[in-house]
Amino acid sequence: MPETGLEFSKEPTEVAVSIRNLSKSFNDVEVLRDVNLEVKKGDVVTILGSSGSGKSTLLRCINWLEQPERGSIHIAGERIGVTDEGRAMSVKALARVRAKTGMVFQSFNLWPHLNVLHNVTEAPIHVLGKSRHEAEAHARELLDKVGMSHKADAYPNTLSGGQKQRVAIARALAMQPEVMLFDEPTSALDPELVGEVLAVIKSLSAEGYTMVIVTHEMSFARSVSDQVVFLEKGLIIEQADPETFFTNASTERVRKFLERNK
Amino acid sequence: MNASAWNMLLEGAWTTLWISGVSIAIGVTAGLILALIRIARIPVIDQLLVLYISLARATPLVTLVLFIFLSAPTFGIQLERSMAGILALTLNTTAFNAEIWRSAFRNFSREQREAAMATGMTPGITFRRIMLPQMIITSLPGLINEMSFLIKGSPAIAVIGIVELTRVTNRISAVTYEPLPPILVACVLYMAIIGCLVWAQRITERRATRLAM
Ligand SMILES: Nc1ncnc2c1ncn2[C@@H]1O[C@H](COP(=O)(O)OP(=O)(O)OP(=O)(O)O)[C@@H](O)[C@H]1O
Ligand SMILES: [Mg+2]
Repeated sequence: MPETGLEFSKEPTEVAVSIRNLSKSFNDVEVLRDVNLEVKKGDVVTILGSSGSGKSTLLRCINWLEQPERGSIHIAGERIGVTDEGRAMSVKALARVRAKTGMVFQSFNLWPHLNVLHNVTEAPIHVLGKSRHEAEAHARELLDKVGMSHKADAYPNTLSGGQKQRVAIARALAMQPEVMLFDEPTSALDPELVGEVLAVIKSLSAEGYTMVIVTHEMSFARSVSDQVVFLEKGLIIEQADPETFFTNASTERVRKFLERNK
Repeated sequence: MNASAWNMLLEGAWTTLWISGVSIAIGVTAGLILALIRIARIPVIDQLLVLYISLARATPLVTLVLFIFLSAPTFGIQLERSMAGILALTLNTTAFNAEIWRSAFRNFSREQREAAMATGMTPGITFRRIMLPQMIITSLPGLINEMSFLIKGSPAIAVIGIVELTRVTNRISAVTYEPLPPILVACVLYMAIIGCLVWAQRITERRATRLAM
């Protein structure tokens, strides 16, 4: 069938993140090399790879915390970081596109001067211009979803790591982003607290959230992903559905990695 | 000491308080503005600010007060004594405060800033809503320290004839020939003022523990 303009214009609404020919260097060392990746709406993509392979950098390029030298990234059809004329976006325009992504960091990065509720409402009020009333009602729903509503008035320094991370997830969800980015969300946690955070992320995938997750939790990756991507020295060397990836990987490198990370 | 001596002492204390208070209020705000300009690293302006800050920090207060009061007329400015005193104290304290604010800005957690940007906050919103409230808490001990230095250095403004808390003791003993009582009272009053500041500092330090995660 010949391509029609209609079909083409439909495409952006079905792709949450589209990364094309992305390259990024730090001090002349190429950390990402010609990365191409498409994340469909509602899909969960996990990124695996050994330390230093560029996983965090890739994630941080998606919301432009790092600026790549080459390539393009579109969030729900809108290019981030670069205007139609090819110039760097103004800080305002960049912030607006960035708000379509939500990020969860390894080290939680909650704002310690605000209590749990206000950590969640701060951006909706001051970025989206929501009323305090509306923002708090939504925040309480989200805190309920991550099992933290009983700590709404607590300050971050009184929470456990797992609790902090669940609040951080609620904070990112509060902006109703097109895609959630997780950078090793459980790596800083004591082993007994990992489960509660993974359970929350799983529940989000069941609700149809689009997510890109960097993780070292293999069984979690296998059960939650629609697509698994393996990065090696800044290159995507394997990309498959989880069954194929974990049982029938085509590259020797991935089979070795899986062997070591059993 | 009679009633009029007490009155004079309280008036002197009031002079010290309001001149210091105005200088502190301007100095804290101006220090923040200078710190932000320095962080923006605007060429030439940055060098000028560095020069001002090092000069203001190196010049003795008495010298600065005298210089401002005596040089104003040559620039065609009619400066009241109290204005000259405020200007000198402000120029001095602003320089120190600018450094306190600047280090609070530079030491601010990059992770927290990134978390703010990631939610779609512009740098301006990030500064106002995330950084500044915490910078105030972390800077307050240093700022309050600088406030007590300013109050303890404020007798320098007596050199241009302002009758503040220390100078007034001189005036009283010139009449009573008893220098000890008024100076003792002045000491107590200084201690009360500084004591209030130290007390405020304790409270802010307690609030700061929340930020130490
Ligand atoms: N800001 C930076 N400046 C210089 N080099 C950097 C910077 N950030 C990352 N790198 C380098 O880029 C490479 C990729 O780093 P990245 O953090 O993306 O790896 P990663 O796959 O997330 O590793 P890990 O599993 O350890 O988190 C590494 O060699 C790292 O040292
Ligand atoms: Mg990483």
